[in-house]
Amino acid sequence: MTQDAQDAVGDYKYGFHDPESATIRFDKGLNEKVVRDISELKGEPEWMTDIRVKAYHHFMEREMPTWGNCDSLAGINFDNVTYFLRSSDKTEKDWDDVPEDIKRTFDRLGIPEAEQKWLGGVTAQYESEAVYHSIREDLEEQGVLFLDMDSGLKEHPEIVKKYFGTVVPHTDNKFSALNTAVWSGGSFIYVPKGVHVEMPVQAYFRINAKNMGQFERTLIIADEGSSIHYVEGCTAPTYSTDSLHSAVVELIAMEGAKIRYSTVQNWSANVYNLVTKRGVAHKNATVEWVDGNIGSKLTMKYPAVLLKGEGAHAEVISVAYAGEGQHQDAGAKVHHLAPNTTSNILSKSISKNGGRSSYRGMLQVTPKAAGCRSKVVCDALMLDEDSRSDTYPTMEIGNSTADLEHEASVSKVSGDQLFYLMSRGHTEEEAMGMIVNGFFEPFTRELPMEYAVELNRLLELEMEGSIG
Amino acid sequence: MTSYLDATVPSRSEHLWRYTPWSRVHPSSVDTIPNVDAAVIKSEDFEFTNKAFEPLPASDIARIFLNEIIQETTVIACDNKEGHIHINAGGHAVAAHLHIACNTASSIIIHLHGEADWFGLALTGDINANAQLSVGVINELSSDSVMVRVDDWFLHRDARFELATLSMGGHRNKSDIRSTLKGSNASLKQFIAVHGHGTRHDDHHIEIHHQQPHTNSHLLLNAACDDRSHSIGTGALTIDDIAQHTDAGQIFRNLLLSPSSRAEAIPELEVLANEVAAAHGAASAPINEEQLHYLMSRGLSKEEATSMIVEGFLIDSFSGLDSDLVREAIQTRLTVHLECQLIG
Repeated sequence: MTQDAQDAVGDYKYGFHDPESATIRFDKGLNEKVVRDISELKGEPEWMTDIRVKAYHHFMEREMPTWGNCDSLAGINFDNVTYFLRSSDKTEKDWDDVPEDIKRTFDRLGIPEAEQKWLGGVTAQYESEAVYHSIREDLEEQGVLFLDMDSGLKEHPEIVKKYFGTVVPHTDNKFSALNTAVWSGGSFIYVPKGVHVEMPVQAYFRINAKNMGQFERTLIIADEGSSIHYVEGCTAPTYSTDSLHSAVVELIAMEGAKIRYSTVQNWSANVYNLVTKRGVAHKNATVEWVDGNIGSKLTMKYPAVLLKGEGAHAEVISVAYAGEGQHQDAGAKVHHLAPNTTSNILSKSISKNGGRSSYRGMLQVTPKAAGCRSKVVCDALMLDEDSRSDTYPTMEIGNSTADLEHEASVSKVSGDQLFYLMSRGHTEEEAMGMIVNGFFEPFTRELPMEYAVELNRLLELEMEGSIG
Repeated sequence: MTSYLDATVPSRSEHLWRYTPWSRVHPSSVDTIPNVDAAVIKSEDFEFTNKAFEPLPASDIARIFLNEIIQETTVIACDNKEGHIHINAGGHAVAAHLHIACNTASSIIIHLHGEADWFGLALTGDINANAQLSVGVINELSSDSVMVRVDDWFLHRDARFELATLSMGGHRNKSDIRSTLKGSNASLKQFIAVHGHGTRHDDHHIEIHHQQPHTNSHLLLNAACDDRSHSIGTGALTIDDIAQHTDAGQIFRNLLLSPSSRAEAIPELEVLANEVAAAHGAASAPINEEQLHYLMSRGLSKEEATSMIVEGFLIDSFSGLDSDLVREAIQTRLTVHLECQLIG
């Protein structure tokens, strides 16, 4: 990277970009023709085209959310977004076959290396579609389906038709309608009964082009007694104009199954990250969201779990880091719909250099959910006087036997802790970095080790220059 | 001043009106302004004067509506006095506006009773520099009454203010209680106990705004919900960027006593200063079986044991009150109320 480019990128090490090389690029702006063209280009069945068109009309009619950061949301110009950009003609199974410039990007992000070492499968999405996809042979032999979503629809239309939009319907919110209308890429996973996928599978999402919209759609189904850990990472170049990332993720954990979905979102500070993530847990199933939000201009993301079956469990661990010009509006939603269901939510946020972090949560217990238990903990650290931290939790309790707790606190870094570390020879900056890493430790310990190390390094980078 | 008929009726997407829509607490149809009489205010302990109504800050539909229907403001002379004020709400629709300006020290217990179909109450006050005020509000309205209560309290430099509410009367209640800590070193303690019974619907919205440094606030809301009652507690705590060294806490606790009772707790925080300690907690649980078993093994019936646990839970809301007068008056009324409930 040249010095000029380095200056423009600043501390954000993924802020580089490659020359755009599109094989197909739609004009900016959204209309019904764009939606139909995406569907036609992909050779989709008619029912999917119909869903897309319905969702498009709903998107056009639906008002913008009236909560969260309305001022920032108002800055999105939907007419200035490219809704589809194909950068490679097909999804490769070998890194050597991936176009050179795209491969270089993923090499710099360390994806091929990670795959060899510790992953069960990888999907790499560049702009609108997956450019690389692979799965370990032993998993394939056990019947595990791990495909990019477009291939999933082509090869297993009956499964996609059965589950698509059942957890997040297009009428859910404005951005789920947008995603349903123009979705492209994402992951499709089916884990057969009783199969445990021991190594995590990973998807990596990269936006390279300016004013790009990425609308991936992920559907994960874990059949009875199975388990899977899915990890996703996200980066984008630093541009002066904004990009839009609006994904929908649907998880379905059948009886006794377990799905863990880990995200480390490190979009550049010009990306709107407006994502709907929701899982359904049937009897004795577990859905876990491990959600890290480090980058983006505005994130509005509230991973949700519907505890539909008796004994189901939800776990949400979420961290957010809001630096200069950033607003991380994150949180969690858990709906206890069946008896003896349990949930834990842990949210941690840090605001620095005028950043704003918000926790927005919903904990609902319906009248049928007897004997359920839940605990919510939100901690926020404020690193300077220009920053802001908000907490907007909602508890709706419709069953008298529910046992629920919620606690939240906002504070600054303890002077005692700083003094202790500095008295052992650390500079104030190092001490602050260590305290921040420690604050996020309940999150990082749940990540695969390589991710945890990377996250700690990222945080240290973010903390540089935070003192004085 | 915004006219009520020109104002937009809030939708349920608005946080303040999510659980209790304005149409459910308006005295008739929302597009009308009915005739409203003045409630009767009596006290043997305080003198008061009536003057032309001073409009409330018209920031929401309830205040805009009360601005249209209330004719006069009753100003309480409270300095260096303590005692009781009775507001009797009788007839179809009645309303009252009480204003308290405290310059020294005072303790006031405000009793709300009567059989009005609808009662609109505005309480406003200035707790001036170095003043110390304790106010207890006891809602013992008839079981058919609907009440809309709005409070606007302003705490000035070094002021100490305690506001306790015991809510057990009326059929439907919407209270919007707002306090602004305008002076440095001001301190607010707010306690609310709700007893839900029958089909009672009780909605408390509490806003606390720290505008100056070195201010403290503490809020505790305990709700015990029986039968088909529904309690809602929403808190909005804001700490401005200049309000450094603020200490603020909110606790919402719900005790659910029957399968059909419901409770909502939404304690919100907005913190713009970093040298602060701000926390909130919310908890909801059924009655503790061990406590019940212990009391029943000592000869109490299940109903008596439950009533005793509820009394302890609600009385605990007021243990932090400094004013003995307010605390004892509230505890007495609560005990009488629960005994009456027990014997039917």
